[in-house]
Amino acid sequence: MEIRLTVNDEQKIWQAAPGENLRDLLRREGYLSVKYGCDSGTCGVCTVLFDGRAAHSCTILAAQADGHKVTTVEGLDDQGRLDALQEAFMETGAVQCGYCTPGMLLAAKSLLAENQTPDDDEIKDALNTVLCRCTGYVKQEKAVKLFITRTKGA
Amino acid sequence: MQIIGKSIQRFDALDRVTGRAIYPADIDLPGQLHMKVCFAGHASARVKAIHAEKALAHPGVVAVFTAADVPVNEYGLITPDQPVLVGPSPHGKPGEDIVRFPGDQVALVVAETEEAAAAGRALLEIDYEPLPPVDSMEDALTADAPLVHPERARRDNIILEQNVLHGDLTAGWAEADVVVERDYFTSSQEHAYLQPEAGVAYIDEDGRVVEIVAGQYTHEDRRQIAHALDLPEERVVVHYPAIGGAFGGREDMSIQIVLALAAWKLGRPVKLVWTREESIIGHHKRHPAQMHAKWGARRDGRIVAAEIDLTLDGGAYAYTSAVVLKNALLAAAGPYEIDNIKISGWVVYTNHTPNGAFRGFGAPQGIFLAEMQVHHLAEALQMDPITLRERNILREGSILPTGSVIPPGVSMPQVLERLAREAGWRHENDRWLRPELPELPLPDDLPHTALDRVSHEWHRGLGLAIGFKNIAYSFGYPETCTVTVELYGDGEIEYALLRYAGAEVGQGTHSAMAQVAAEALALPLAAVRLVLSDTAETQDVGSASASRLTFMAGNAVIGAAQEALQRWRDGRRPAVAEYTYHARRTTPFAPETGECDPHVAYGYVGQMADVAVDPETGQVHVLRLLTVNDVGQAINPQQVEGQIHGAVAQGVGWTLQENYIEKEGRVWTPSLSTYLIPTVMDVPDEMPAVIMEEPDPQGPYGARGMAEMPFLPVAPAIIAAIKDATGVWFDSIPLTPEKVWAGLHGGNR
Repeated sequence: MEIRLTVNDEQKIWQAAPGENLRDLLRREGYLSVKYGCDSGTCGVCTVLFDGRAAHSCTILAAQADGHKVTTVEGLDDQGRLDALQEAFMETGAVQCGYCTPGMLLAAKSLLAENQTPDDDEIKDALNTVLCRCTGYVKQEKAVKLFITRTKGA
Repeated sequence: MQIIGKSIQRFDALDRVTGRAIYPADIDLPGQLHMKVCFAGHASARVKAIHAEKALAHPGVVAVFTAADVPVNEYGLITPDQPVLVGPSPHGKPGEDIVRFPGDQVALVVAETEEAAAAGRALLEIDYEPLPPVDSMEDALTADAPLVHPERARRDNIILEQNVLHGDLTAGWAEADVVVERDYFTSSQEHAYLQPEAGVAYIDEDGRVVEIVAGQYTHEDRRQIAHALDLPEERVVVHYPAIGGAFGGREDMSIQIVLALAAWKLGRPVKLVWTREESIIGHHKRHPAQMHAKWGARRDGRIVAAEIDLTLDGGAYAYTSAVVLKNALLAAAGPYEIDNIKISGWVVYTNHTPNGAFRGFGAPQGIFLAEMQVHHLAEALQMDPITLRERNILREGSILPTGSVIPPGVSMPQVLERLAREAGWRHENDRWLRPELPELPLPDDLPHTALDRVSHEWHRGLGLAIGFKNIAYSFGYPETCTVTVELYGDGEIEYALLRYAGAEVGQGTHSAMAQVAAEALALPLAAVRLVLSDTAETQDVGSASASRLTFMAGNAVIGAAQEALQRWRDGRRPAVAEYTYHARRTTPFAPETGECDPHVAYGYVGQMADVAVDPETGQVHVLRLLTVNDVGQAINPQQVEGQIHGAVAQGVGWTLQENYIEKEGRVWTPSLSTYLIPTVMDVPDEMPAVIMEEPDPQGPYGARGMAEMPFLPVAPAIIAAIKDATGVWFDSIPLTPEKVWAGLHGGNR
């Protein structure tokens, strides 16, 4: 079936197979930052922004994305200029194996779009949708806080 | 030092935050086929026949491979006791038709699409004759137990039994004023790296089979692929792209051989991606351990006698079980000098998923036993836990249970003292006084975690434990590591090229070795270029395991840098040096007594847990877990902290929540919604990491390996804290809420 959606601000008309989920469609179309980790909405490495809010793309049918706006990590930078959150992840050492990093970035982005000054609990709540096996989550929380400090100063 | 010891930003971080990092599943090759693996789904059975006609008739299915198609149908990291594919074959290799765990691979279906491969797999008809299973380590050791490997000359299920004897136990017991005798159990653990197994394989223009896959040791993957395919190693190339975590779980083969086999047989690129469920049933786990200990001490705190029995469940195949057992045996004496000791160990075959390498490699089980015994002795002697440890602790010149002197650079006493002080203990009148616990916070004041929803009566407690672990391969294994440094330029060195095979599994080894090279060559970091993780382009560095890469490869890079500089001074352009670092030779266990010089070097760690326990629900939450870790010299402190945090989180998961269940021929927790690893809510609210730098005399710039050590004391530290909070000792993990609740209410602990 044909679906029309916006991916990283670009209009797309894609063919989706019946039953295909949004993760698999995005990967097939080359958005490889959207990772496979499970099929049950548990691990969060397939997180995208769906109409601006973090969502597990393995639990969204491709057909459900028709008419919606999707953002992946490929769309985070501004013409090659990194988003300040990406910078913060690199600086704080929040990246180890990197497999959860796109999901973590987008989970945090979703929060920060709604709330520019989240407290520690709100940060944990947001990151709780993505699993990480490498970092113990310490430096990812630190990265989000660094981003907040910087954008406050700006 | 200019570059060592600085928290430089990892050069590979940029690709990882932009989504450009390529992991194995992200690679597609023109004309590629897709493969599905048919798993046995039985714990114990004989494969009588495999009927592939219907599968082959399915549109898109290109081939079905079975045991008959594997040139040399065996593999294994130490002992080649596992068939690549289980089933009858013309080779008639004894035992190759016997299924020994549910994840045994029976057939491969290759098709034009993934869907067709899956459909073909569903059409396979396989005749199984069920065989009686061995479903526990106790059963494995009974006299009339079925044999998991009937093809072996040995008529029991023992992979290895080993004793370590030291001193005179009779004399030791005669001196003992108190004796503590307990049983312990530690559970299995699934690695749960977030990137499930995946890879592509193809034949290159030189006729080599090339595999791009995630592993921990490129050259060993190549060796095992070549062996099974009956090819010279030069005909096989293994390359690692970005790897989504490993933790020991990629040390043994999972998909490497079958993927290469399919590409080799068909002459076309083949891709294989395991689902999460396939990953969990298909690769090895941590060894469950059943342990018994009887330790005696004098009233002054000196431990004078120790008897230890330790049994590990090896699962269906040997993997690294024999070495895991040896490590566990030595760790079970703890970081203590005990003059009279007898340690007896067994690792046995069962019809469970094989157990193998996982962060700590036997040391977590052994340290669990040792630290639990010391907790109980402290209680029996009414002595504070730090003073008791100090009176027995390993020091420079200490004799290990193997009869050998511990290698120089022993910092266990310094680590313990630093831990005590960082945790707020005070030393007064020859004893250590614990810190006052801050007042119990009201629920509203607790950090926002899963626990604040439930109870109003949290009990709070503190506990500490310490540990040590070997760095690098042990027990006489010739431990080497080879890298190449090439210097380019004319008058001045323009840039250096480091050829380094080390597996970048997330720990930052590629960046760390670039730092070491820059330091050793006195070049800016930007002048170091890297050729990485490819058997065709790099030499054998050994595996990313045993906390060895920084230590081994660091020394190799320094050696190669020095030789390359010498050649540069001699006028060579480019100046190239391939250098092999040989670690200090160790020796194997003497069969009867376990006498040996077991390990190259050690790393030391101590931890303090501050927990809250909800007696109404049995829930335990770790408020703070402090780690003091001697790393010798941090190459990149930021990455060292990352390893500490990750190890603590995994340790907390092992202790409190990760509950891998396999019985009656089935894995009951094959998903991340049934096998629960820690989320950001489950990890300790605070994980302070204190990095000590007591140089190791053998280490590069004094560096020790460190990535496993902060896992080791987590469980015994938390259990001591739970005891402090509730007055109840627990002897087994995982301490799930139902188990804690039952224990607090008089049930099984």
